[in-house]
Amino acid sequence: MMPSQYGQAALGSAEPAIEIEGASIVFEWGGKSTIAVDAVSLRIARGAFVCLLGPSGCGKSTLLNAIAGFEPLRSGTIRVSGSEVVGPGPDRAVVFQQPNLFPWKSTRDNIAHGPRMAGHSKAEALRQADALIDMVGLGRFAGAYPHELSGGMQQRVAIARALATRPGILLMDEPFGALDAQTRSIMQDNLLRLWPRISATIVFVTHDIDEAILLADRILVMSAGPGRILREIAVDFPRPRSVDFAVDPSFLALKKECLDLIRQESRHVFEADEARPGR
Amino acid sequence: MSTGHSLEASPVGRSAVTRRIGSLLNAAVGYLSLPLFLLIWEAVSRAGIVNTVLFPPPTVVAQALHEWLISGELPSDLAASLARVAVGFLLGSTCGVGVGILTGRISFVARLLGPVFQILRPIPPIAFVPIVILWFGLAESGKIFLIFWGVFFTVWLSTHLGVQKVDRGLIRAAQMLGTPRLRLHWEIIFLGALPYIVVGLRTAVGISFYTLVAAELAGAFSGVFYRIALAQQNMQTGLVLGGLVVLGLVSFLADRAFAAAAARLVWWR
Repeated sequence: MMPSQYGQAALGSAEPAIEIEGASIVFEWGGKSTIAVDAVSLRIARGAFVCLLGPSGCGKSTLLNAIAGFEPLRSGTIRVSGSEVVGPGPDRAVVFQQPNLFPWKSTRDNIAHGPRMAGHSKAEALRQADALIDMVGLGRFAGAYPHELSGGMQQRVAIARALATRPGILLMDEPFGALDAQTRSIMQDNLLRLWPRISATIVFVTHDIDEAILLADRILVMSAGPGRILREIAVDFPRPRSVDFAVDPSFLALKKECLDLIRQESRHVFEADEARPGR
Repeated sequence: MSTGHSLEASPVGRSAVTRRIGSLLNAAVGYLSLPLFLLIWEAVSRAGIVNTVLFPPPTVVAQALHEWLISGELPSDLAASLARVAVGFLLGSTCGVGVGILTGRISFVARLLGPVFQILRPIPPIAFVPIVILWFGLAESGKIFLIFWGVFFTVWLSTHLGVQKVDRGLIRAAQMLGTPRLRLHWEIIFLGALPYIVVGLRTAVGISFYTLVAAELAGAFSGVFYRIALAQQNMQTGLVLGGLVVLGLVSFLADRAFAAAAARLVWWR
C-alpha cells in the first residue's frame, strides 16, 4: 500500500527510534540474583517492525518492559528518539499479553483514556476513540464493558487504546499469545493491515516463529540464561503480506533456520537446568 | 435441579407423589419459619412452663412495641440511634478508605502505621466505653467516636488489602497512557480496590450497629439501646424484647439496603 514507508524502515533513518547500549537487568529474589538481560546493545530504525523471538524465560519481555520504562536497568542506557528512558510514557504505548483494560470503563472510554490524559477535551477524546473503534471493527461494542467482550475483542480494544496516544513506538508483549489459533491468525492479519496506517515503530515480543516471520522486517533471536541477542535475521519478504504467506517455500526455509536456532538454544537451557544440582 | 437432587436424597422406591409433596414442603418451609417460631414462643410462654414476667409472649412484646410507637419515643429513639450510626459510619469509612490507600501504596506509611493499627484493631470497641466517658463525658461526640473506631479499622484493612491486590497490569496500562500520579491513585487504584472496599464497608455496617450498643451504654438520653436498658431497670420485659426486635430489624434492613447500594457502586460488574 505504501511501499516507501517499508523502504525507509529497511534503510533506517539517521536517528534510530530506539537505541540500547549495554543494557543489563538483574532480578533479586530471596537473596539470589538472576541476570535476566545481559549487556544487550541494539538499534531499531524509525518505522521498523522488529520481533524479539526466543524461548520462554529468555528475557525478551523483560527487555520490552525496560523500553516501556517499567523495568529499571542495572547498567547501560535505553534512548528513545534521543532521550533516555526513565519511566513509562505515552510515546511508548504498550499492548500487554493480557488486555489489561480498565474494567470500569466501556470500550469507548478505555480508548479515550489516553487522549484525555494528553489534555484533550472529553468530546475530542471520544471522537478520536470512535475513529479507532471503527479502525479495529468494534463499532457495535463501543458501549460494552470489557467483561462483555471475547478475548480477541478485548485485545483489539487494547490495541486501539495504545494507538490512541499516537505513539511513535508501539511495544507489543506477546499480544496474541493468550488467544486461540484462529483468532490469533485473524489478529495478525488485522495488525498487518493496520500498521501502514499508524506510522509507528513496532517492537513485538513472541515465542511463535511463524508469527515473527509473518510480521517482522527484522527478527532478533534471543538466548536464555542470561538473556542475550543471539542472532539478527532480516526478513526481506515483500509487503503487504497476509497469513497465506505462511505456506510459501521461502517462508518455510526461513522458518527452518529459526527453528534450528531456537531448538538448539532451548536444549542448551534445558540441559543447563537439568545439570544444576538441587533442582 | 430436582431430579439429581432427589435421586440422591430419597431412598429407592419412593413414589413420585411423595416426592412432589416433599418438594412443595421444601419450598413452603421458608415462609413458615418465622410464624412457627412465634407460635412456639407464644405457646411455651402461655403454657406456664416459664415465668411470663421474665419471658413474655410475642403478643405482649407487640403490645409494648405499639405503646412505644404511639408515645412518639420509638421514632425519636430510632432517629437518635440512626444518626449516631450514620455519622460514625461516614467518618470511619472515609478515613478508613483514605488511610487504606496510603498504607496500601506507600510502604513507608504502612510500616509506620501497621504495627500500631494491628494492636489497636482487635480491641473490642465496647472496651473503650469507660475511657470514652472520661474523655467525652455524655456528649454525642463520644458515641460517634466509638462507632468511628469500630468502622475505621475494618474499612482500613479491606482497603489496604484491596489496594495491594489491584492488578499490576492495570497500573502499568494507566502509566503508559500517561496517567498522572494523583489521578492514578484516585481513579485506577481506588476503582481497582473498590470491590474489596465494598466488602469491608458492608461488614462495617454490621459493626456500626454492634458498636451502637456500646455507644449507648456509655450514657445516653435517647436511642434504641438506651430504651432497652431503661426498660430493663423498670422490669418492662416486653419492651426489652421489643427493643431487641427493633435492633435486629433495623440492622437487617441496613445490611440489605447496603447490599443493594453496593451493586450500583461497583457498576461495571
